[in-house]
Order: sequence, then structure tokens, then C-alpha cells
Amino acid sequence: MERIVLPDIPNLNQIDVYLTNGGFESFKKALSQSPDDIIDQVKKSGLRGRGGAAFSAGLKWSFMPKTTDKPKYLCINGDESEPGSFKDRQVFEDNPFQLIEGAIITCYAIGAKVAYLYIRGEYHKWIKLMQKAIEVAYDRGFLGESMKKTFGNDFSCDLYIHKGAGAYICGEESSLMNSIEGYRGYPRVKPPFPAQKGLWGCPTTINNVETITNVPKIISNGWEWYSKIGAQKHPGTLLYGISGHVNKPGVYELPTGILLTDLIFNTASGIPNNKKVKCVIPGGSSMPPLRGDQLEGIRMDAESLKEAGSAIGIGGVMVMDEDTNLLKVLIRITHFYHHESCGQCTPCREGTGWMEKTLHRILEGNGTSKDLDLLISVAENIEGNTVCALGDAAAWPVKFMIQRFRDEFEQYVKNEVTIPVPNKVHSMRNTSAPLANLHK
Amino acid sequence: MPIFIVDGHQVEFKPGQTIIEASRNAGISIPHFCWHPKLSISGNCRICLVEVEKMPKLVIACSTYASEGMVVHTKSEKTIDARNAVMEFILINHPLDCPICDEAGECKLQEYAYSHGKGESRFEEIKNRKEKRVQLGPHIKFDGERCISCSRCIRFSDEIAHANQLTFRNRGDKVTVTTFPGELFDNPYTLNTVDICPVGALTNNDFRFKSRVWEMSSTDSICIGCSRGCNTEMWVRNNEILRLTPRKNDEVNSAWMCDNGRLNTFKFVNAENRIDGTYLRFNGFLKKAELSSAINFTAKKIKEFKSNEIAFIGSAYATCEDNFVLAKFAKSLGVQNIDFPKHIALGDCDDILIMEDKTPNSFGAELVGVKPINNGNSFESIITNIESGKIKALYIIDEDIASISDKYEKNLTKLDLLVVHSSNENKTTALADVVFPSSTYAEKNGTFVNFNGRIQRIKPAVTTEEMDRALDGMNMSRWDKFGTKFDRWMQGRRVDAKSSWNILSMLSLHLNGKMKYDMAEEVFADIASSIEEFKGLDYDMVGSKGINLKIKESIKVK
Repeated sequence: MERIVLPDIPNLNQIDVYLTNGGFESFKKALSQSPDDIIDQVKKSGLRGRGGAAFSAGLKWSFMPKTTDKPKYLCINGDESEPGSFKDRQVFEDNPFQLIEGAIITCYAIGAKVAYLYIRGEYHKWIKLMQKAIEVAYDRGFLGESMKKTFGNDFSCDLYIHKGAGAYICGEESSLMNSIEGYRGYPRVKPPFPAQKGLWGCPTTINNVETITNVPKIISNGWEWYSKIGAQKHPGTLLYGISGHVNKPGVYELPTGILLTDLIFNTASGIPNNKKVKCVIPGGSSMPPLRGDQLEGIRMDAESLKEAGSAIGIGGVMVMDEDTNLLKVLIRITHFYHHESCGQCTPCREGTGWMEKTLHRILEGNGTSKDLDLLISVAENIEGNTVCALGDAAAWPVKFMIQRFRDEFEQYVKNEVTIPVPNKVHSMRNTSAPLANLHK
Repeated sequence: MPIFIVDGHQVEFKPGQTIIEASRNAGISIPHFCWHPKLSISGNCRICLVEVEKMPKLVIACSTYASEGMVVHTKSEKTIDARNAVMEFILINHPLDCPICDEAGECKLQEYAYSHGKGESRFEEIKNRKEKRVQLGPHIKFDGERCISCSRCIRFSDEIAHANQLTFRNRGDKVTVTTFPGELFDNPYTLNTVDICPVGALTNNDFRFKSRVWEMSSTDSICIGCSRGCNTEMWVRNNEILRLTPRKNDEVNSAWMCDNGRLNTFKFVNAENRIDGTYLRFNGFLKKAELSSAINFTAKKIKEFKSNEIAFIGSAYATCEDNFVLAKFAKSLGVQNIDFPKHIALGDCDDILIMEDKTPNSFGAELVGVKPINNGNSFESIITNIESGKIKALYIIDEDIASISDKYEKNLTKLDLLVVHSSNENKTTALADVVFPSSTYAEKNGTFVNFNGRIQRIKPAVTTEEMDRALDGMNMSRWDKFGTKFDRWMQGRRVDAKSSWNILSMLSLHLNGKMKYDMAEEVFADIASSIEEFKGLDYDMVGSKGINLKIKESIKVK
């Protein structure tokens, strides 16, 4: 199987190696065609976004207005903050020039003169690597004004890295734009969509790093070639990031539509000590978890996972063996979304904290079965009622984990509890003086 | 106009209007916290989620544009479930301190908790703690726990006050409003954020803990801080003004007023130094006297001077009615020396509301005739002529001339007769031979004309001895309605004062019988019949939001 995003070529992150392996030939080929042709090919290839929503990349590009007096922008999302995702950094490390080439092809297709590569702030090392690669590309005339000379064409574009400051929400496309503009990472209310009103109010396309890195190969090998790889409705390869209780965790590039069980038991060499699988989250921590005893036949593509009651997300497969305490897992996940909620809109701001507090109470042994129903209800009240998808991301793990593992969660709760600390915050005071004893 | 359907009603809308705006115009109110008609759309509170047919999810009415044929349900089961859910979320971390919260009674959250809340909470955890009693700026205290992070104050500071002084800090349920490091929330408009705060998170230092809102009556009034004439509401309890708030008028002040107008234009009404009753100079000292004897005395004294030895000073703080009667009185005596002083603070203005002219009625005073007649002296030359001894008697209404400068104060001592109408003791009353107690703008009916010729009404909010809250149809609070005169809260001070037009009318009646008015409305009717710009107007036409006078291009306020 040929790997598309991370080819098995040593030192591909060196510009000369990249060039001897057909580097920037795709862009030359793209330049001989019209931007609309490029968009059409990407559309036909069936390339779907790798950032979580699996939306058709070509279709997204086609939303960009053809006639506008405003500049257009491309944002490449490398914020990669979802627990269980660690694939984009492999691209930064191993194949930066293909990402750059993908970026310039995309800029050409959508008519952008400037692209921003948004990388999470914690990726210091990969930001440096990427910055170096971009500088090399400028030096060799693959970016900026000198592109015109290199490729003998009027088209040129610039690529800048924007470093995140440590907020998960900035991976949400509209927060990402706010962040680039220098504002708080708050998601924007949609509509208007980025293609109408994006970065600085101008038409903008936002794609994931992995999506963009796929583009050069689609152009050079043709859309028919790409559309035949993997699952029919979700073609291509995926960078599967497998973590948790597996013998060989890591990033593997494999076609879409492979069996989840194959991925766990063959690619990642199974579970340590041959334990049973209790739970698998197939696409990053926000996706609905699957029961270990119901993995048979589930394939790793958007359609198949949707049918199985989950979603492909960013392809970060988290495996948990039979000894895992799912309550603790859920607390950790919920803590993450509570901590990362931007606090803009009410349901997510208030609901994420509520769920975490209630889960902690259950862990302390003070929960009842009613609390489990309450958690599902709170999750459902968040779901769909928020500005962005972080609300859903926080709600789904709680809702589906409890629904699908109700048997286990029932073990953590009692029939009846007396809450030792009822909600007496109103009688709590900021003074060191003891509260008056009313019963004396 | 295109039509869409809200709860079965056909609602007209202008293209570009959102569901919430168009519904509001049609009288259907959709709950909202963060949306404000004068601010940009934020869409964060989520209480306005409504069901729209053919849309997969609920949408927020504040940011979704109405479109032809759209079918909106604001009372469907799905909508109500979502609204209840949002209410529950907002309330879980909101302190239940309504009994000590200033906002109670005018709190959006409290209102919606009654109309949309479940009445009980499923939240059994400990509430979040945040900063309390933060002094954000000179006038504003912030309570982080009450804040529901709607961002109205931040958007106001950015978009209306152009100050960009507030922002959110932290994330998630730790989010809180703050100023930038080392900076204060200090601009001329900060207190508007207290009005638009949907909860009690922002409170006015000046009003905090003064009164429950239902204990006060509110009366439509006009700010006297400058010639903008911002529409206000005057809040009174126990016959004492406790606060002013802006009243919406898109022609004048939108929905805002400046902090100076709000804080510094009512305290003199409550002040200790109010002139309570009439005073006559007796053996060098001002002594309290009967109004009738003071009128007798004044009438007798005025007759002793020739008309060119007398001057009248009107006031841009007084109403058109006061000034009109003064001008008419001067005319009846054949006096041509009549004018009023200007109070201009050069440079103290902005392109939002604040004007350089610090009086509410200079345009009006001039229009009704307070200006030198024929060869009469202007204000400056009146003062000069007092110094030279040509003018011997001066009649001032509602102006503190002596405080303008030491020279003026010195000149006033040279007069043979100084009659002053004043609401408060000041340097001028200290020199007067007769002091008549005049009502403040809070105690009378009348009109002001603002800088661009808009005439606006003021109404009494505070009672004087001659008035009765119920009989005179004044606005009343619950306490006013249900209290008796034996109740402690009904025993506020009532000053013995009268409108300047009223005093002048009595004096005129006594002196030459030329004028007799019993009500401000009668004076206004006279103005409307004799002055071109006011032709055909009456108080009902002026209404609560005023009306633009037909001003000739040639007349311009200097």
C-alpha cells in the first residue's frame, strides 16, 4: 500500500530529497490548469476533511466567492488539541514540504494570496521544524514573490505560522480566525460562514493539515486514483493515531474503511497481556465511545462509524482494556472539556462544570442512579444548543459512555445517599469567623 | 413588506431584520439576555433559541435573519425545553441573593426565572466562587458571581463609549469581566453598563443599597447637565431623588446618558441648603417672611425705579415657561435690559452626547424672549452698568450670578434692589434683598428646548408643599400608593417653593394686573399663541419624547 501523507522515504523532510521524489511537480501541474479545474478534481476525488467533520474538501473550496474585491485567505488548522490526536505533528516532522506544496495548490485553487498555518503553542519543537521548512521554501523560491520566477507564472502566495497560546477552542475554525486576528479565542456565530466572512471579514477556507497534505498527490496521480483508495464514500488514507492499552501505539497511515479490530489487533499488535477490550473511542475523546464486545465488523470510515453510533473524528483510536475504570476515564475527559470550554455561551460554560462536579461526587461514593440520568439530561441540554461544536464534544462522551456502559456505571452509584455537603454555598462566608449555630 | 410567521401570527419584516427584532416590532417578545437593540449581536446567552421549521437545530432568534415564509415557533415544546435548560444552566452558578441585590425588581434573570424557570434546581453541587465587590472604575462595582457573561458591558464599552476598557478574563465557568491590567473602567459613560446589565453584576456606587426599585416612583424627565437634553427617568422615594436613568429616545440620546449628567444633576434637589419659604432682608439679615408680604414689598420697591434702571436676568436652567413669563413681565414694565448668562465649557464635548453648553434650555430662553430688547443691555453690559451705577435694580431667576466671578459678586453689592429666585442658598441669595423659593426642574411642569431645537417636557417627580402626589397625577411607587401620611416612608421633606413663572405671575398681578396664570400649561398656551416657533403646540403634542420646533435657518444659538 502506497502511503500518501507520510511516504516511506527516508529524510523526506529535506528539501532535496523531497525534490528528487517529485516535489513541487504537482504544483507545476496545477498551474497548467485553471483553479476551477483543481477544485473540481479535489471534489471528484472524494477527499473529506481530516479535522473531524469529514466534510468534502472540494465542496468547501467551491463555497469561496469567485468575484470579490476582498483578499481571500487559507487557514491550515494544526491546532491538534483533541485528546487522542497526535497525527499532524508527524506531518510537520516528516513531510513538511508536501504540506507546503498542498498549501500553495490550495491557495491557487481558491485564489488566496496568504495562508496561515495555525499550530498549537505546545508544539514548540514542531513549530521550529515547520518554520525552518518554510524558510527553506522561501529561499528556494517555492513561496513568496520569487515563486513567480521559479514557476514562470503570475501566481504567488505567502505562508505564515501562527502559534496558538494553549487553548483547545482555537482549533475550532472560527475561534482560530479570531485567534489569528488577535482576539480572544471565541467561536463566532454562524452564519455567516468563513467562506462568506472569515478572517478579517474576508472569504476564508480552513482545512486540516492532513487534508492539505493529501492535495498534491491527488493532483499528480489524478482524482480517479485517489477515489479508489479505501472506503468508497470516504476515500484515501487516514493517519490513525492509536493510543491506550495496545502493544504498539503510534501513528499509522492506512486506507480508510479498514476493520477497527484489524487496526487494534494487527496493526497495533493487540492488548497487553491479552486482556479483553472494554471500550474504544474511535476518533478522539469527543466521539461517542464503542463497547469492546461490539467491535466486530466496524470499519474505520465516516459512514460505517456513523452507522455504528460513533464518528470518525480525527481518527485517534483510544483503546481501554477490561481493567479500566470508565468513571475515571469519563471524569478525565469531562475535566478536559470543562477546562477548555471558552465560556462564551451558557450551556457549555455552565454544563461542563456541572457534569464534572457530579461525576466527582459519584467517584467519592455519593452518587445515585438518579445522578446518572441527570448527567445524561444535562448532556442532552448542552448538545446542539451551543455556538460551536465544543458543546457536543463535551456532551457526547458523557451521554454515550453512561448509556452504553450503564451496567458499569450502576456499580459506582448507590440506591440512596445523603450528600454530606449539600448546596450550602449561600451560608458560606468569606470571613474566618465561624457560622452562627442556629440550633443552640 | 415580506412576511414570516411567528407562533401562527403573520409578522412583517424589513429584509435584514433578525427574528427577534421583527417579532419585537410586532409585539412578540422573545426572551434575551445578551441581545441589545443598540449593540452588536453576540449570540452567547442562548435563551432566545427558537424552533424554525425546516431547520435541523434550534436557532438563536437574535442572529437569524427573518426570511419570506419562514415559520418560527417560540412556544413549541422543543423551544420551551431549550429555554428551560438554558435558564437552569444560568442559575446553577448564580447566587440566590436577590433579597440583597440592587437589581431585584428590574432584573431580567429574575423575571425570566419566574416566567421560564422550572422553580426548582437539580444542581446539588457547590456553586463556583468568583471575585466580589470589585471596583472596576470610579463609579462601578462588579460582582463576578452574579455575572452571566453576556458581554453587554464589554460591547457597550467598545461600540458606544469607544473606550475599549473591558474584557473577559479566564475561560469556561471561570470567565469574568475585568479591565486591562493597571487600567480602570473610567470613561464619561460607564454607568450605562449598570442599566444594560441584565443582572446585578454591575452596580452604581452612588445608588448601591439605597433602595429597592419598587419603593421608588419613576417620572419622565430631561437631564439638565448640558444642551443635549438626554431623556431620563427620575427615581424618587420618600420625596427624595435617588437616581437618574436614561430613557430611550432615538432622536436625542439613543438609550444612554453620561455619568456626569446622571450623578451631578439631582443632588441639589435633595440638598440641605434648599430655600424653604420666602426671605426678606431685615436690618441687614435675611429673615423668613410671608410670600404675600414679600410680593408686596417687591412690587412697591420696583415702582421706585425708572425702567432703564431695572434689569432682568433669565436662566437657561429655567423652563421656557419661566423665561417667557419673565420676558413678559419685563415688557409690561417697559424694561429693555433683559438677558441670561451662558454657561459654556469650551472643549468639554464629544461626538457621543456631551455638549459644550452646560445648560438645558439656552435655545428656549432666547426663543421666548429673554434677550435684550431694542437698545437694552446684554448680560455683560448689564453687569458693567451695575458697576457704573446706571442699573440700580436687578431681578434674577434661577441663576447664581455671584458665583460666576468675584467681580460679579462685588458688582451685585452696589445694587439698590436685588430680587432673586433660587432653589438653593448661594452667593447670590446671600446678597439679595428678596429671595423667592423657586422649584427645581424636578418639581415642576415645563419645557426645555435642546441644542438643535427639540422641545421636550419635564414633569414633577418631587412634591413641594403646594403639590399632592395623588391629586396632581404624579407617578407613584407602591409605597406612595399604599402608605399613609403616618408611615415613616411618607414623611420626606416637602419644600415650600413655587415655579418661577408662578411667583412672577403673582407679582405681576399685584403690580399691574397684566398676567395671571394658574398652571404651566396656561403659560405654554400663551407661548404657543404668541411665539412663531411654538405655534400650534401643546403639552400633548410635545409628548414624552419631544418634538422638533420649526426653527428658521437665520436663528442659531451662539
